Amino acid sequence: MATEYKVSEMAAKIAEIRKLADELDSMCGGIQAVKKNIVRLLSSTKMLELNVSDIKDFV
Amino acid sequence: MARDDSMYWNPIMETLPREKLQQLQIRKFKRIFEWAYNNSPFYRNLYKAAGIEPGDIKTYEDIKKVPKTDKGMLRDVQSRPPFPYGDMLAVPLNQVTEFRQTSGTTGTPVYQADTWQDWDWWAECWAYILYAQGYRDTDRFFVPFGYNIFVAFWAAHYAAEKLGCEVVPGGVLDTEARVMKMQELKCTAFGATPTYVLGMADTARKIGIDPRSIGIQKITCAGEPGASIPTTKKRIEDAWGAKVYDHIGATEIGAWSYMCLAQKGLHVNEGMFLVEIEDTETGEIIDTPMKNGKMVITAFDRIGKPCIRFDSKDVIRWADYDCECGRTFRIIDGGVVGRADDITKVKGVLLAPTAIEEVVRSFSELSDEYEVVVTKKGDIDDIMLKIEIRPGFESQQPDILNRLKDQLRVKTNLGYKIEVHPYESLPRYALKAKRFKDLRGDH
Repeated sequence: MATEYKVSEMAAKIAEIRKLADELDSMCGGIQAVKKNIVRLLSSTKMLELNVSDIKDFV
Repeated sequence: MARDDSMYWNPIMETLPREKLQQLQIRKFKRIFEWAYNNSPFYRNLYKAAGIEPGDIKTYEDIKKVPKTDKGMLRDVQSRPPFPYGDMLAVPLNQVTEFRQTSGTTGTPVYQADTWQDWDWWAECWAYILYAQGYRDTDRFFVPFGYNIFVAFWAAHYAAEKLGCEVVPGGVLDTEARVMKMQELKCTAFGATPTYVLGMADTARKIGIDPRSIGIQKITCAGEPGASIPTTKKRIEDAWGAKVYDHIGATEIGAWSYMCLAQKGLHVNEGMFLVEIEDTETGEIIDTPMKNGKMVITAFDRIGKPCIRFDSKDVIRWADYDCECGRTFRIIDGGVVGRADDITKVKGVLLAPTAIEEVVRSFSELSDEYEVVVTKKGDIDDIMLKIEIRPGFESQQPDILNRLKDQLRVKTNLGYKIEVHPYESLPRYALKAKRFKDLRGDH
Protein backbone atom coordinates (compact mmCIF):
# COMPACT_ATOMS: atom_id res chain seq x y z
CA MET A 1 0.00 0.00 0.00
CA ALA A 2 1.40 3.35 -1.01
CA THR A 3 1.86 6.10 1.53
CA GLU A 4 -1.14 8.38 2.03
CA TYR A 5 -0.09 11.95 1.37
CA LYS A 6 -1.80 15.03 2.76
CA VAL A 7 -2.07 16.62 -0.65
CA SER A 8 -4.88 19.09 0.12
CA GLU A 9 -3.22 20.23 3.33
CA MET A 10 0.10 20.69 1.53
CA ALA A 11 -1.62 22.63 -1.25
CA ALA A 12 -3.20 24.94 1.34
CA LYS A 13 0.22 25.65 2.87
CA ILE A 14 1.68 26.36 -0.57
CA ALA A 15 -1.14 28.83 -1.22
CA GLU A 16 -0.24 30.56 2.05
CA ILE A 17 3.39 30.82 0.95
CA ARG A 18 2.31 32.47 -2.30
CA LYS A 19 0.00 34.85 -0.45
CA LEU A 20 2.77 35.81 2.00
CA ALA A 21 5.27 36.33 -0.83
CA ASP A 22 2.80 38.55 -2.69
CA GLU A 23 2.17 40.56 0.47
CA LEU A 24 5.89 40.94 1.04
CA ASP A 25 6.28 42.10 -2.55
CA SER A 26 3.60 44.74 -2.18
CA MET A 27 5.06 46.11 1.06
CA CYS A 28 8.77 46.08 0.11
CA GLY A 29 8.76 49.61 -1.26
CA GLY A 30 10.75 48.59 -4.30
CA ILE A 31 13.80 47.38 -2.35
CA GLN A 32 15.52 45.33 -5.04
CA ALA A 33 17.13 43.01 -2.49
CA VAL A 34 13.64 42.00 -1.45
CA LYS A 35 11.84 42.21 -4.78
CA LYS A 36 14.30 40.13 -6.79
CA ASN A 37 14.53 37.47 -4.11
CA ILE A 38 10.75 37.25 -4.09
CA VAL A 39 10.91 36.44 -7.83
CA ARG A 40 13.00 33.42 -6.88
CA LEU A 41 10.78 32.55 -3.95
CA LEU A 42 7.72 32.64 -6.20
CA SER A 43 9.48 30.48 -8.80
CA SER A 44 10.18 27.86 -6.15
CA THR A 45 6.58 28.21 -4.98
CA LYS A 46 5.44 27.56 -8.54
CA MET A 47 7.45 24.32 -8.58
CA LEU A 48 5.64 23.27 -5.40
CA GLU A 49 2.34 24.10 -7.09
CA LEU A 50 3.24 21.99 -10.14
CA ASN A 51 4.19 19.06 -7.93
CA VAL A 52 1.38 19.27 -5.39
CA SER A 53 -1.34 21.91 -5.82
CA ASP A 54 -2.03 21.05 -9.47
CA ILE A 55 -2.68 17.44 -8.53
CA LYS A 56 -4.83 17.93 -5.48
CA ASP A 57 -8.11 17.57 -7.39
CA PHE A 58 -7.02 14.27 -8.89
CA VAL A 59 -5.95 12.24 -5.86
CA MET B 1 4.18 -5.91 -2.54
CA ALA B 2 4.48 -2.48 -0.97
CA ARG B 3 5.50 0.29 -3.32
CA ASP B 4 8.77 1.93 -2.43
CA ASP B 5 7.96 5.62 -2.79
CA SER B 6 11.56 6.62 -2.14
CA MET B 7 12.40 5.72 -5.74
CA TYR B 8 10.31 8.55 -7.16
CA TRP B 9 11.09 12.27 -7.25
CA ASN B 10 7.35 12.83 -6.91
CA PRO B 11 5.48 9.64 -5.99
CA ILE B 12 2.11 11.37 -6.28
CA MET B 13 2.63 12.63 -9.81
CA GLU B 14 4.60 9.69 -11.18
CA THR B 15 2.09 7.06 -10.08
CA LEU B 16 -1.12 8.97 -10.75
CA PRO B 17 -3.70 6.59 -12.27
CA ARG B 18 -3.90 7.05 -16.05
CA GLU B 19 -7.42 8.47 -16.10
CA LYS B 20 -6.47 11.06 -13.47
CA LEU B 21 -3.29 11.88 -15.34
CA GLN B 22 -5.30 12.49 -18.49
CA GLN B 23 -7.65 14.84 -16.64
CA LEU B 24 -4.64 16.71 -15.29
CA GLN B 25 -3.17 16.97 -18.79
CA ILE B 26 -6.32 18.47 -20.28
CA ARG B 27 -6.52 21.01 -17.45
CA LYS B 28 -2.86 21.95 -17.87
CA PHE B 29 -3.12 22.17 -21.65
CA LYS B 30 -6.05 24.54 -21.29
CA ARG B 31 -4.03 26.66 -18.85
CA ILE B 32 -0.97 27.09 -21.12
CA PHE B 33 -3.22 27.63 -24.15
CA GLU B 34 -5.02 30.41 -22.30
CA TRP B 35 -1.69 31.90 -21.14
CA ALA B 36 -0.34 31.98 -24.69
CA TYR B 37 -3.60 33.31 -26.13
CA ASN B 38 -3.64 36.18 -23.66
CA ASN B 39 0.07 37.03 -23.63
CA SER B 40 1.74 36.07 -26.93
CA PRO B 41 0.74 38.01 -30.08
CA PHE B 42 2.00 35.16 -32.26
CA TYR B 43 -0.13 32.52 -30.55
CA ARG B 44 -3.18 34.78 -30.32
CA ASN B 45 -3.05 35.44 -34.07
CA LEU B 46 -2.48 31.75 -34.80
CA TYR B 47 -5.46 30.67 -32.72
CA LYS B 48 -7.76 33.47 -33.83
CA ALA B 49 -7.05 32.54 -37.45
CA ALA B 50 -8.04 28.96 -36.60
CA GLY B 51 -11.14 30.13 -34.74
CA ILE B 52 -10.13 28.51 -31.45
CA GLU B 53 -10.43 30.14 -28.04
CA PRO B 54 -9.43 28.91 -24.57
CA GLY B 55 -13.02 27.97 -23.73
CA ASP B 56 -13.03 25.51 -26.63
CA ILE B 57 -10.50 23.18 -25.00
CA LYS B 58 -12.36 20.50 -23.05
CA THR B 59 -11.12 17.13 -24.34
CA TYR B 60 -8.18 15.51 -26.13
CA GLU B 61 -10.22 15.75 -29.31
CA ASP B 62 -10.31 19.54 -28.85
CA ILE B 63 -6.54 19.61 -28.37
CA LYS B 64 -6.07 17.87 -31.73
CA LYS B 65 -7.75 20.85 -33.41
CA VAL B 66 -5.21 23.32 -32.02
CA PRO B 67 -2.80 24.43 -34.78
CA LYS B 68 0.69 23.01 -34.56
CA THR B 69 3.86 25.05 -34.51
CA ASP B 70 7.20 24.12 -36.03
CA LYS B 71 10.78 25.24 -36.16
CA GLY B 72 10.19 27.35 -39.27
CA MET B 73 7.62 29.40 -37.34
CA LEU B 74 10.04 29.77 -34.44
CA ARG B 75 12.60 31.18 -36.86
CA ASP B 76 10.10 33.44 -38.66
CA VAL B 77 8.90 35.17 -35.49
CA GLN B 78 12.47 36.25 -34.79
CA SER B 79 12.23 38.84 -37.57
CA ARG B 80 9.62 40.67 -35.50
CA PRO B 81 10.05 42.54 -32.19
CA PRO B 82 10.95 42.16 -29.43
CA PHE B 83 14.53 41.45 -30.47
CA PRO B 84 15.84 38.75 -30.64
CA TYR B 85 12.95 36.44 -29.79
CA GLY B 86 10.00 37.85 -31.71
CA ASP B 87 6.35 38.01 -30.82
CA MET B 88 6.03 34.43 -29.65
CA LEU B 89 7.33 35.82 -26.38
CA ALA B 90 4.61 35.84 -23.71
CA VAL B 91 6.31 37.92 -21.03
CA PRO B 92 7.84 41.40 -21.00
CA LEU B 93 11.45 41.28 -22.15
CA ASN B 94 12.70 42.40 -18.74
CA GLN B 95 11.40 39.14 -17.24
CA VAL B 96 13.68 37.07 -19.47
CA THR B 97 16.69 35.95 -17.47
CA GLU B 98 18.07 33.15 -19.65
CA PHE B 99 19.20 33.05 -23.26
CA ARG B 100 19.97 29.81 -25.04
CA GLN B 101 19.85 28.88 -28.71
CA THR B 102 19.54 25.77 -30.81
CA SER B 103 22.65 24.48 -32.53
CA GLY B 104 21.31 25.44 -35.94
CA THR B 105 22.22 22.09 -37.48
CA THR B 106 19.07 22.29 -39.61
CA GLY B 107 19.14 26.02 -40.37
CA THR B 108 19.13 29.38 -38.62
CA PRO B 109 19.38 28.99 -34.83
CA VAL B 110 16.26 29.47 -32.75
CA TYR B 111 16.74 31.83 -29.83
CA GLN B 112 15.12 30.62 -26.65
CA ALA B 113 13.93 32.96 -23.91
CA ASP B 114 13.29 31.71 -20.40
CA THR B 115 12.17 33.52 -17.28
CA TRP B 116 13.63 32.58 -13.92
CA GLN B 117 10.52 30.49 -13.30
CA ASP B 118 11.13 28.68 -16.59
CA TRP B 119 14.70 28.05 -15.57
CA ASP B 120 13.50 26.62 -12.27
CA TRP B 121 11.11 24.47 -14.29
CA TRP B 122 13.95 23.20 -16.51
CA ALA B 123 15.79 22.09 -13.38
CA GLU B 124 12.59 20.55 -12.00
CA CYS B 125 12.09 18.47 -15.14
CA TRP B 126 15.72 17.35 -14.96
CA ALA B 127 15.27 16.50 -11.27
CA TYR B 128 12.66 13.91 -12.32
CA ILE B 129 15.25 12.48 -14.71
CA LEU B 130 18.23 12.31 -12.39
CA TYR B 131 16.27 11.02 -9.40
CA ALA B 132 14.72 8.25 -11.53
CA GLN B 133 18.23 7.25 -12.60
CA GLY B 134 19.37 6.84 -9.02
CA TYR B 135 21.11 10.17 -8.40
CA ARG B 136 21.07 11.09 -4.72
CA ASP B 137 22.71 13.62 -2.40
CA THR B 138 25.64 11.26 -1.96
CA ASP B 139 26.65 11.56 -5.63
CA ARG B 140 29.51 13.63 -6.95
CA PHE B 141 28.34 14.60 -10.44
CA PHE B 142 30.82 15.73 -13.04
CA VAL B 143 29.60 17.88 -15.92
CA PRO B 144 32.06 17.68 -18.84
CA PHE B 145 30.35 20.35 -20.89
CA GLY B 146 31.41 23.77 -22.17
CA TYR B 147 28.72 25.83 -20.36
CA ASN B 148 27.84 28.01 -23.32
CA ILE B 149 24.89 29.22 -25.40
CA PHE B 150 23.57 25.68 -25.87
CA VAL B 151 21.28 24.34 -23.16
CA ALA B 152 22.91 20.85 -23.20
CA PHE B 153 23.69 19.98 -19.56
CA TRP B 154 23.02 23.38 -17.97
CA ALA B 155 19.74 22.27 -16.45
CA ALA B 156 21.24 18.95 -15.38
CA HIS B 157 23.72 20.97 -13.34
CA TYR B 158 20.95 22.92 -11.59
CA ALA B 159 18.83 19.81 -11.09
CA ALA B 160 21.72 17.90 -9.55
CA GLU B 161 22.18 20.79 -7.10
CA LYS B 162 18.46 20.62 -6.34
CA LEU B 163 18.83 16.92 -5.52
CA GLY B 164 21.72 17.76 -3.23
CA CYS B 165 24.43 16.20 -5.37
CA GLU B 166 27.89 17.71 -5.27
CA VAL B 167 28.30 19.18 -8.75
CA VAL B 168 31.70 19.53 -10.39
CA PRO B 169 31.61 21.81 -13.46
CA GLY B 170 33.96 20.47 -16.15
CA GLY B 171 33.75 23.74 -18.12
CA VAL B 172 36.77 24.73 -20.16
CA LEU B 173 38.91 21.72 -19.25
CA ASP B 174 40.00 19.59 -22.19
CA THR B 175 39.01 15.93 -22.33
CA GLU B 176 42.22 14.69 -20.76
CA ALA B 177 41.92 17.13 -17.85
CA ARG B 178 38.28 16.19 -17.38
CA VAL B 179 39.10 12.49 -17.11
CA MET B 180 41.90 13.22 -14.66
CA LYS B 181 39.64 15.47 -12.56
CA MET B 182 36.95 12.78 -12.42
CA GLN B 183 39.57 10.30 -11.24
CA GLU B 184 41.10 12.74 -8.74
CA LEU B 185 37.72 13.58 -7.18
CA LYS B 186 36.35 10.02 -7.33
CA CYS B 187 33.25 11.24 -9.16
CA THR B 188 30.33 8.81 -9.14
CA ALA B 189 28.40 10.04 -12.16
CA PHE B 190 28.59 12.24 -15.22
CA GLY B 191 26.53 13.25 -18.22
CA ALA B 192 27.40 13.88 -21.87
CA THR B 193 26.48 12.89 -25.41
CA PRO B 194 27.09 9.18 -26.15
CA THR B 195 29.75 10.17 -28.67
CA TYR B 196 31.64 12.21 -26.11
CA VAL B 197 31.28 9.55 -23.41
CA LEU B 198 32.97 7.06 -25.74
CA GLY B 199 35.61 9.63 -26.67
CA MET B 200 36.37 10.24 -22.99
CA ALA B 201 36.93 6.50 -22.49
CA ASP B 202 39.37 6.47 -25.41
CA THR B 203 41.22 9.48 -23.99
CA ALA B 204 41.38 7.86 -20.56
CA ARG B 205 43.00 4.73 -21.97
CA LYS B 206 45.52 6.82 -23.93
CA ILE B 207 46.74 8.49 -20.76
CA GLY B 208 46.93 5.18 -18.95
CA ILE B 209 43.69 5.35 -17.01
CA ASP B 210 41.25 2.46 -17.20
CA PRO B 211 37.85 4.21 -17.31
CA ARG B 212 36.40 1.33 -15.29
CA SER B 213 38.79 2.10 -12.45
CA ILE B 214 37.48 5.63 -11.88
CA GLY B 215 34.40 4.45 -10.02
CA ILE B 216 31.70 6.00 -12.20
CA GLN B 217 28.42 4.26 -11.35
CA LYS B 218 26.02 5.97 -13.72
CA ILE B 219 26.14 8.06 -16.88
CA THR B 220 23.26 10.14 -18.21
CA CYS B 221 23.33 10.62 -21.95
CA ALA B 222 21.56 13.23 -24.03
CA GLY B 223 21.77 15.00 -27.36
CA GLU B 224 21.97 11.89 -29.56
CA PRO B 225 20.01 8.63 -29.70
CA GLY B 226 23.02 6.42 -28.82
CA ALA B 227 22.07 5.49 -25.26
CA SER B 228 18.85 3.96 -26.57
CA ILE B 229 20.67 2.00 -29.27
CA PRO B 230 21.48 -1.30 -27.52
CA THR B 231 24.88 -1.84 -29.14
CA THR B 232 26.06 1.71 -28.40
CA LYS B 233 24.72 1.56 -24.85
CA LYS B 234 26.52 -1.74 -24.23
CA ARG B 235 29.74 -0.29 -25.65
CA ILE B 236 29.54 2.63 -23.21
CA GLU B 237 28.60 0.46 -20.22
CA ASP B 238 31.47 -1.93 -20.98
CA ALA B 239 33.93 0.93 -21.36
CA TRP B 240 33.04 2.60 -18.06
CA GLY B 241 31.71 -0.28 -15.97
CA ALA B 242 28.69 1.92 -15.27
CA LYS B 243 24.96 1.98 -15.95
CA VAL B 244 23.97 4.21 -18.87
CA TYR B 245 20.66 6.04 -18.94
CA ASP B 246 19.13 7.95 -21.80
CA HIS B 247 17.23 11.19 -21.64
CA ILE B 248 15.63 13.26 -24.40
CA GLY B 249 15.06 16.98 -24.40
CA ALA B 250 15.38 19.97 -26.66
CA THR B 251 16.11 23.66 -26.30
CA GLU B 252 12.72 24.80 -27.56
CA ILE B 253 10.79 22.08 -25.67
CA GLY B 254 12.41 21.13 -22.37
CA ALA B 255 13.58 17.88 -20.77
CA TRP B 256 10.61 15.67 -21.54
CA SER B 257 11.60 12.03 -21.09
CA TYR B 258 13.84 9.73 -19.13
CA MET B 259 15.02 6.20 -18.76
CA CYS B 260 14.58 4.92 -15.20
CA LEU B 261 16.62 2.31 -13.31
CA ALA B 262 14.85 -0.48 -15.22
CA GLN B 263 16.48 0.82 -18.45
CA LYS B 264 13.46 -0.16 -20.54
CA GLY B 265 12.52 2.59 -22.95
CA LEU B 266 11.98 6.15 -21.82
CA HIS B 267 9.14 7.46 -19.69
CA VAL B 268 7.48 10.62 -20.96
CA ASN B 269 7.08 13.07 -18.08
CA GLU B 270 3.35 13.36 -18.65
CA GLY B 271 2.85 15.62 -15.66
CA MET B 272 4.87 18.30 -17.42
CA PHE B 273 4.38 17.48 -21.11
CA LEU B 274 1.75 16.25 -23.52
CA VAL B 275 3.29 14.01 -26.17
CA GLU B 276 1.22 13.16 -29.21
CA ILE B 277 2.51 10.88 -31.97
CA GLU B 278 1.26 11.78 -35.41
CA ASP B 279 1.09 9.51 -38.41
CA THR B 280 3.29 11.23 -40.99
CA GLU B 281 1.01 10.22 -43.85
CA THR B 282 -2.52 10.53 -42.48
CA GLY B 283 -1.93 13.15 -39.78
CA GLU B 284 -3.93 11.00 -37.34
CA ILE B 285 -2.77 10.74 -33.73
CA ILE B 286 -1.32 7.27 -33.07
CA ASP B 287 -2.13 5.43 -29.85
CA THR B 288 -1.16 2.01 -31.19
CA PRO B 289 2.11 0.75 -29.66
CA MET B 290 5.23 0.19 -31.81
CA LYS B 291 3.94 2.31 -34.69
CA ASN B 292 6.33 5.08 -35.67
CA GLY B 293 5.16 8.65 -36.05
CA LYS B 294 6.44 12.12 -35.47
CA MET B 295 6.18 13.78 -32.11
CA VAL B 296 3.96 16.77 -31.45
CA ILE B 297 4.68 18.07 -27.98
CA THR B 298 3.38 20.63 -25.50
CA ALA B 299 5.25 21.89 -22.46
CA PHE B 300 2.51 22.67 -19.96
CA ASP B 301 4.40 25.06 -17.73
CA ARG B 302 6.91 27.00 -19.83
CA ILE B 303 5.66 30.57 -19.87
CA GLY B 304 8.35 32.84 -21.39
CA LYS B 305 8.21 31.38 -24.87
CA PRO B 306 5.49 28.74 -24.74
CA CYS B 307 5.88 25.46 -26.59
CA ILE B 308 2.41 24.33 -27.67
CA ARG B 309 1.78 21.47 -30.09
CA PHE B 310 5.30 21.79 -31.45
CA ASP B 311 5.99 19.51 -34.41
CA SER B 312 9.47 18.38 -33.42
CA LYS B 313 10.03 16.07 -36.42
CA ASP B 314 11.39 13.50 -33.96
CA VAL B 315 10.22 10.01 -34.88
CA ILE B 316 9.12 8.00 -31.85
CA ARG B 317 6.75 5.15 -30.98
CA TRP B 318 4.80 4.11 -27.90
CA ALA B 319 6.13 0.94 -26.27
CA ASP B 320 4.08 -2.24 -26.16
CA TYR B 321 5.40 -3.06 -22.68
CA ASP B 322 5.08 -1.62 -19.19
CA CYS B 323 7.88 -0.80 -16.82
CA GLU B 324 8.27 -2.57 -13.49
CA CYS B 325 9.19 0.73 -11.81
CA GLY B 326 5.53 1.52 -11.10
CA ARG B 327 5.42 4.84 -12.91
CA THR B 328 2.22 5.38 -14.83
CA PHE B 329 3.91 7.69 -17.34
CA ARG B 330 3.82 6.10 -20.80
CA ILE B 331 7.00 4.72 -22.32
CA ILE B 332 8.48 5.38 -25.72
CA ASP B 333 10.38 2.45 -27.16
CA GLY B 334 13.95 2.94 -28.31
CA GLY B 335 14.11 6.69 -27.70
CA VAL B 336 14.05 8.92 -30.74
CA VAL B 337 14.36 6.41 -33.55
CA GLY B 338 14.96 9.07 -36.19
CA ARG B 339 13.89 12.43 -37.44
CA ALA B 340 11.15 12.87 -39.97
CA ASP B 341 13.58 14.98 -41.99
CA ASP B 342 16.48 12.50 -41.47
CA ILE B 343 14.71 9.39 -42.58
CA THR B 344 15.46 9.45 -46.23
CA LYS B 345 15.07 7.27 -49.26
CA VAL B 346 18.28 5.77 -50.57
CA LYS B 347 17.97 3.60 -53.67
CA GLY B 348 14.23 3.69 -53.03
CA VAL B 349 14.57 2.24 -49.52
CA LEU B 350 13.62 4.20 -46.38
CA LEU B 351 16.73 4.55 -44.26
CA ALA B 352 17.05 5.74 -40.64
CA PRO B 353 20.70 6.56 -39.83
CA THR B 354 20.29 5.03 -36.35
CA ALA B 355 19.98 1.59 -37.98
CA ILE B 356 23.51 1.95 -39.38
CA GLU B 357 24.83 2.97 -35.95
CA GLU B 358 23.25 -0.10 -34.38
CA VAL B 359 25.14 -2.35 -36.80
CA VAL B 360 28.50 -0.57 -36.68
CA ARG B 361 28.54 -0.43 -32.89
CA SER B 362 27.85 -4.17 -32.68
CA PHE B 363 31.34 -4.84 -34.11
CA SER B 364 33.87 -4.71 -31.30
CA GLU B 365 36.65 -4.76 -33.91
CA LEU B 366 35.57 -1.29 -35.12
CA SER B 367 36.31 2.02 -33.42
CA ASP B 368 33.50 4.18 -32.04
CA GLU B 369 33.54 6.50 -35.05
CA TYR B 370 32.08 6.06 -38.48
CA GLU B 371 30.63 8.23 -41.23
CA VAL B 372 27.98 7.66 -43.87
CA VAL B 373 28.03 9.60 -47.14
CA VAL B 374 25.21 9.41 -49.66
CA THR B 375 25.89 10.72 -53.16
CA LYS B 376 24.20 10.45 -56.51
CA LYS B 377 25.94 9.28 -59.68
CA GLY B 378 23.62 9.99 -62.57
CA ASP B 379 20.29 8.66 -61.41
CA ILE B 380 21.81 6.12 -59.03
CA ASP B 381 22.21 6.68 -55.29
CA ASP B 382 25.50 5.63 -53.82
CA ILE B 383 26.00 4.98 -50.12
CA MET B 384 29.45 4.85 -48.59
CA LEU B 385 30.24 3.80 -45.01
CA LYS B 386 33.59 4.97 -43.64
CA ILE B 387 34.92 3.01 -40.71
CA GLU B 388 38.05 2.56 -38.62
CA ILE B 389 39.39 -0.83 -37.53
CA ARG B 390 40.82 -0.98 -34.03
CA PRO B 391 44.54 -1.69 -33.68
CA GLY B 392 45.18 -5.44 -33.47
CA PHE B 393 42.30 -6.39 -35.78
CA GLU B 394 43.77 -5.17 -39.10
CA SER B 395 44.58 -8.70 -40.29
CA GLN B 396 40.90 -9.62 -39.96
CA GLN B 397 39.79 -6.84 -42.30
CA PRO B 398 38.36 -9.00 -45.13
CA ASP B 399 36.28 -11.06 -42.70
CA ILE B 400 35.12 -7.96 -40.81
CA LEU B 401 34.03 -6.24 -44.03
CA ASN B 402 32.12 -9.28 -45.25
CA ARG B 403 30.24 -9.63 -41.97
CA LEU B 404 29.60 -5.88 -41.81
CA LYS B 405 28.14 -5.81 -45.32
CA ASP B 406 25.90 -8.77 -44.50
CA GLN B 407 24.61 -7.19 -41.29
CA LEU B 408 23.99 -3.84 -42.98
CA ARG B 409 22.01 -5.53 -45.73
CA VAL B 410 19.93 -7.45 -43.21
CA LYS B 411 19.22 -4.41 -41.01
CA THR B 412 18.78 -1.70 -43.66
CA ASN B 413 18.02 -3.56 -46.92
CA LEU B 414 20.82 -1.67 -48.65
CA GLY B 415 24.22 -2.50 -50.12
CA TYR B 416 27.11 -0.27 -49.04
CA LYS B 417 30.55 0.61 -50.27
CA ILE B 418 32.86 0.44 -47.31
CA GLU B 419 35.98 2.53 -46.92
CA VAL B 420 38.47 1.70 -44.17
CA HIS B 421 40.22 4.73 -42.70
CA PRO B 422 43.24 4.78 -40.42
CA TYR B 423 42.40 4.45 -36.74
CA GLU B 424 41.43 7.83 -35.20
CA SER B 425 41.37 9.68 -38.55
CA LEU B 426 37.59 10.22 -38.79
CA PRO B 427 36.18 13.37 -37.10
CA ARG B 428 35.56 13.25 -33.33
CA TYR B 429 32.71 15.23 -31.77
CA ALA B 430 32.22 16.80 -28.33
CA LEU B 431 28.55 17.67 -28.78
CA LYS B 432 26.15 16.44 -31.45
CA ALA B 433 27.88 14.23 -33.98
CA LYS B 434 27.28 14.71 -37.72
CA ARG B 435 27.97 11.28 -39.10
CA PHE B 436 25.30 11.10 -41.81
CA LYS B 437 26.08 13.25 -44.84
CA ASP B 438 23.58 13.34 -47.66
CA LEU B 439 25.32 15.09 -50.56
CA ARG B 440 22.66 14.42 -53.18
CA GLY B 441 21.27 17.95 -53.05
CA ASP B 442 17.62 18.13 -54.07
CA HIS B 443 16.87 14.44 -54.53
